[in-house]
Amino acid sequence: METPGIFWGVIGWMIAWGIAGSLLLRQRYFARDLDTTNAGFVGAMAGAALGPVALIALWARTPQLTGRIIVGVTLLAVVLIAAAFAFADPQNNCVSNGEFVASQITNGLIIGIIYGFMALGLTLIFSILGVVSFAHGEFYMIGGMLVYYLTAVWLPGLNPLAAVVAACAIAMLIGATFERLMLTPMYHGRVDRPVEYGILATFGLAFTLQYLVQALHGASPVKAQRFIDFPRWEWPAEAAAPLVQTRRGSIEFFDLVTISNPRFVAAVTCILVLLALLFFLHRTWQGRALRAVAQDREAAAIAGIDPDKMNMLAFALGGMIAALAGALLVQAFSWLPQVGAIPAMRSFVIVVLGGLGSLPGAFIGGILVGLVEAAGTGCIPNAQKAASYIPAYGMIVLTLTLLLRPTGLFGRRFAGGAHGQF
Amino acid sequence: MASSDGGPAMRPEFQRQIPNAAGVLLILFFALFPLVYTGGNYDYVMHVLITAFFYAILSASWSMLAGYAGQFSFGHMAFMAIGAYTAALFGHYFWITGEATGLCREIPFFGNWLVVVNPIGVTSTTLDQDCLRQAMTAWDGSVSVTRMPIWLGIVLGTLMGGLAGFLVGILVLRLRAAYLALFTLGFSEIVKAVISAEIDITRGQAGMELPPLFPDGVTLFGQAFGPTDKIPPYYAMFGLLLLCLAILTWLARSRFGLFVRALREDQDAAAALGVNTTRYKVVVFTITCAMAATAGAVQAHYVQIVTPNMLFLLQMSLVVAMAVIGGIENFVAAALGAIFLQIMLEVLRTSFTIGGVEVDMTTWRLVFFGLLLMVTLRFFRNGLIAPLIDRFRRAGVAAETVEKRTATLTGPGGGPHRADAAEVPE
Amino acid sequence: MTKSSLTGKFLLVATSTLALVAGAATAQDVSCPIRIGALAPLSAPGTVVGGEAMRDAMLIAEEDINAAGGVLGCGIEVVIGDSEGLPERAVAIMERLITQDGVVAVGGGYHSSVGVASKDVANDRGIPVVFAETWNDTITGDKQKYIFRIAPLSSWTSNIIWEFALTVPGVEKVAILTENTDYGIPASQETAKGLNENGVESVIFSVDIGTQDYSGIVNRIMAEDPDMIITLVTGEAAYNFTQQAADAGIGPLDIPFQTGQDALESGAYWENVPDGQYAFVQRIGVPESQFTEKGKAFAAVYKERTGKSDVESYAMEAYDSIAILAQAIEEAGSTDGDAIVMALEDIRHEGTLGTIYFDYGLKRDPSEDGKGDEWWHQWPDPAITMIQYQVEGQSSTEAAIVYPEAYKTADPVFVNQ
Repeated sequence: METPGIFWGVIGWMIAWGIAGSLLLRQRYFARDLDTTNAGFVGAMAGAALGPVALIALWARTPQLTGRIIVGVTLLAVVLIAAAFAFADPQNNCVSNGEFVASQITNGLIIGIIYGFMALGLTLIFSILGVVSFAHGEFYMIGGMLVYYLTAVWLPGLNPLAAVVAACAIAMLIGATFERLMLTPMYHGRVDRPVEYGILATFGLAFTLQYLVQALHGASPVKAQRFIDFPRWEWPAEAAAPLVQTRRGSIEFFDLVTISNPRFVAAVTCILVLLALLFFLHRTWQGRALRAVAQDREAAAIAGIDPDKMNMLAFALGGMIAALAGALLVQAFSWLPQVGAIPAMRSFVIVVLGGLGSLPGAFIGGILVGLVEAAGTGCIPNAQKAASYIPAYGMIVLTLTLLLRPTGLFGRRFAGGAHGQF
Repeated sequence: MASSDGGPAMRPEFQRQIPNAAGVLLILFFALFPLVYTGGNYDYVMHVLITAFFYAILSASWSMLAGYAGQFSFGHMAFMAIGAYTAALFGHYFWITGEATGLCREIPFFGNWLVVVNPIGVTSTTLDQDCLRQAMTAWDGSVSVTRMPIWLGIVLGTLMGGLAGFLVGILVLRLRAAYLALFTLGFSEIVKAVISAEIDITRGQAGMELPPLFPDGVTLFGQAFGPTDKIPPYYAMFGLLLLCLAILTWLARSRFGLFVRALREDQDAAAALGVNTTRYKVVVFTITCAMAATAGAVQAHYVQIVTPNMLFLLQMSLVVAMAVIGGIENFVAAALGAIFLQIMLEVLRTSFTIGGVEVDMTTWRLVFFGLLLMVTLRFFRNGLIAPLIDRFRRAGVAAETVEKRTATLTGPGGGPHRADAAEVPE
Repeated sequence: MTKSSLTGKFLLVATSTLALVAGAATAQDVSCPIRIGALAPLSAPGTVVGGEAMRDAMLIAEEDINAAGGVLGCGIEVVIGDSEGLPERAVAIMERLITQDGVVAVGGGYHSSVGVASKDVANDRGIPVVFAETWNDTITGDKQKYIFRIAPLSSWTSNIIWEFALTVPGVEKVAILTENTDYGIPASQETAKGLNENGVESVIFSVDIGTQDYSGIVNRIMAEDPDMIITLVTGEAAYNFTQQAADAGIGPLDIPFQTGQDALESGAYWENVPDGQYAFVQRIGVPESQFTEKGKAFAAVYKERTGKSDVESYAMEAYDSIAILAQAIEEAGSTDGDAIVMALEDIRHEGTLGTIYFDYGLKRDPSEDGKGDEWWHQWPDPAITMIQYQVEGQSSTEAAIVYPEAYKTADPVFVNQ
């Protein structure tokens, strides 16, 4: 087996120069009294991608590390790893099978969008309250369970859209109530360590909700029916290989990649709601008030915004986002009381990767994690192990990022508020 | 909180000794319990108590890490698992035989052979055998085959746990509260994924079997105990708990403990005062993780099987909840909370009927547990047990301080040193 | 602050310990009712659906036996122990059943890992166990005196799987999805081995239990272009995989597809896998039309009690595991473990699954007939069949039995023909 030898050799070379680069450049920028936030990251990527050449150049010139440089060297490093992989294992589906690659990327994107959307709720809560909600997965579970019960048990025949809206409303209500009852003491310095208190309180909520649903519902898996059936449709019509083609249960693009109906519906809805959310945050008074509180709590209070109300709004909104993700996916996955654990874990990885409190970070982090998971599942040659390691792929990227940039990709230090200590 | 000057009836010095006295009583109670208790469910009660001690060690060391040092780690169970799996793998793969097997990888070892067994993973039939079993079948008992000493596995487990804690401690140095919690949670997931996926070596979900804590039995106080008797593991775990508590107490009382507390209150200020914050963080991480690993290794030998499921988030949440309900900033209280809750969780397994509706306690007990956790957090921020201890410890402190201040202060009795504001706990 | 609160902390812990002790006092010295333990996974990460079915079945067994006059003039009481699907819990729960609840024998058992871990506890204490649904060969393969099993061996079920796969026309390559547990790994390896020996290629994908999103794996399976898919996954994971494969165009409607055993609960199956028509499922036990009288009676009660549309095979096994123990105690004339073992070795029990007996044991070693150790205390002929859902929304007891010949009620439909 000679080719894997070459592959591991290249990887080893990249790692060695990456480590050297991260350490050397950080030191160099520090010595020169320059901004060191990105130095380690760029150093690692540049070292990995171009080896000593890039390091000498950066060392000598110490340029200002703009976004362009960061993205450039990162992409270069990723491309290089991919190339080494292609060289080492040319028979692999990831290298030789274009359709396979396209499907895997699509899968990664779709699930990434949904994960990213869910993580958005988590990061929204964090940016306002400074709390990492450990109950995020349970809101997701509740959302799905409510849609199932509404459409299949309590009110059979109910329009799924109405059920989704109702589930979101109930989740908001639970979120708001919990925030009023449990989280209010942290705002006014009545709790020694608000961050830990928040984690523990939401932890308690998660525990209670999960076992409450299990006690009430039992453990049999349920699933809601497909919300809508696509009509048979082609565009352009009558073409031999239509660009878009729908069937009852799936949609096909470019005669190449097929996305199942529930996933497509979920992803599109997530994007629409995301746009609505952005509109809300930027164009409405409430939304602006939320952002103001996230930026500077005291200043916002002086400007006449009641930060406590914003806290409640943020927690309710965050819970609702998770519940919406669950409500949309209950038509794709079998639902159980424990179903929230996996997406919650993904959301944690994503928000830390993107930088806690950063909305674009959460979304981009989500897509990144989705893609990395797809690559891991699809490309690892050993079929036995590729899928077993799914939970770990995102974590590996996260570990690397945190080592190089302790605040995550888009993280920033906050100005004030309950979470001022970050 | 209740006024702490409410005990004029009793001398404060005496009151302050009450927690110590109660502690001694408790230790005596648990030390004598196995000897005096004679119920028919003896083994079961012992089992519950041993498990309770196990959780007490985890909970106490976690409260040192999270409560004292402010390192809010959610990966404590991962270190426990590292300890347990180190012991299991060591015991499973390393053997000493009198002669060379000719099948395994082996090296001469003081006149014997140190044999490293080949991994065969999970098999369904008994016909698949690893190289040592094959050799043993051929020998048919004519050659001595000795397993590695149990204590060596436990020591190795402790060292591995400490080493892992050290490395993770360095990694998370620059991370603060929320990042740290999430990162350690993820670390725990990685450990679980690796153990589940590397089936050839770890046997994955099937779990690894271990020999009992005292495979050849043990003689205590002139009485011989077999490998399945509960008394030796009971005292082993109890002793370990006391040892851990002693180490933690020593840590907390030393200069070191002072620094660690300073670290929690305000990292930047502590750093400014010249406390080497990074070093202390790493040291605390290493010590507490090593404790968790020891507990894991001992428990693994006691239960005789380890599986990756002990890394389920529920297990970690139990430890966290136990520490919180006991009192997160007081590791003795955390340990007591763990013992108390573990026992309650077992007792509450029995279902009951209210008004014709059967309440299946198997799941409902966890709902109540969650509610208890939330209520404790909201209304008893220092837990349920820690305030009790504090209450006695601080008895008379306020009155004393007032006396001292009024005696020494030149200014008016109030002034900047208002005794009630400065000393009385909230 | 009074003296009574001084030792509050002490009392808190001490009383809770005493509460444990007090609970035990009643459990002592049982002559009546005779207690029989029953293992079933009733909380996650165990397969709770299976556990609940077994629990219900074993409680029905208790009622039936008591209605028929009980055992040795006593009523019996089935004490359910929640194994949680965790080996370490199983050890504790076995200990609890024996020492706290004072059971004289134990039935039930779903997860293989639970069986493997808990059997030693029972064997050490001389309490007979009849395992109902634990397939791992080593459970009987360790030849322990007190351990019996009425479930089929993992290797037997694997044989049926690959033998059936070989009958699929034009089969050259099989994709196997397995969970990385001690049920899935050996089963997948044995199946792959059997296929290989007969010239059929196979590729195994293993997943963590509880995986939800299979899109990446489904893509990989599609890229392998298999002629058949075999699912060796339990719980809702099998539903998720089957439906997602169907969404991607390689589901039961597209190629021969064997789904997980939980599909036997057809109500849940059709809700979770709406596109699951033509799926094959392995079933233990004969079809309902060939049920024994006892089987029919049990099926009727069970369906009425649980509201389910059919009886899962593990429910029947669970029922029999309790009933056979009751008969053995009656025949032994005592609740002594050794006496029960002797009675079990000679037993002929007319159960819901058929006539249950144990050929090999203390009186006759399997090696005398050239059989492997796993035949020890093992019921030799549980019926293992392959059924197919040929009509959408069908219940599993009405579904066509397509393999083996002895039980066949209809020809299999191969969708890709």
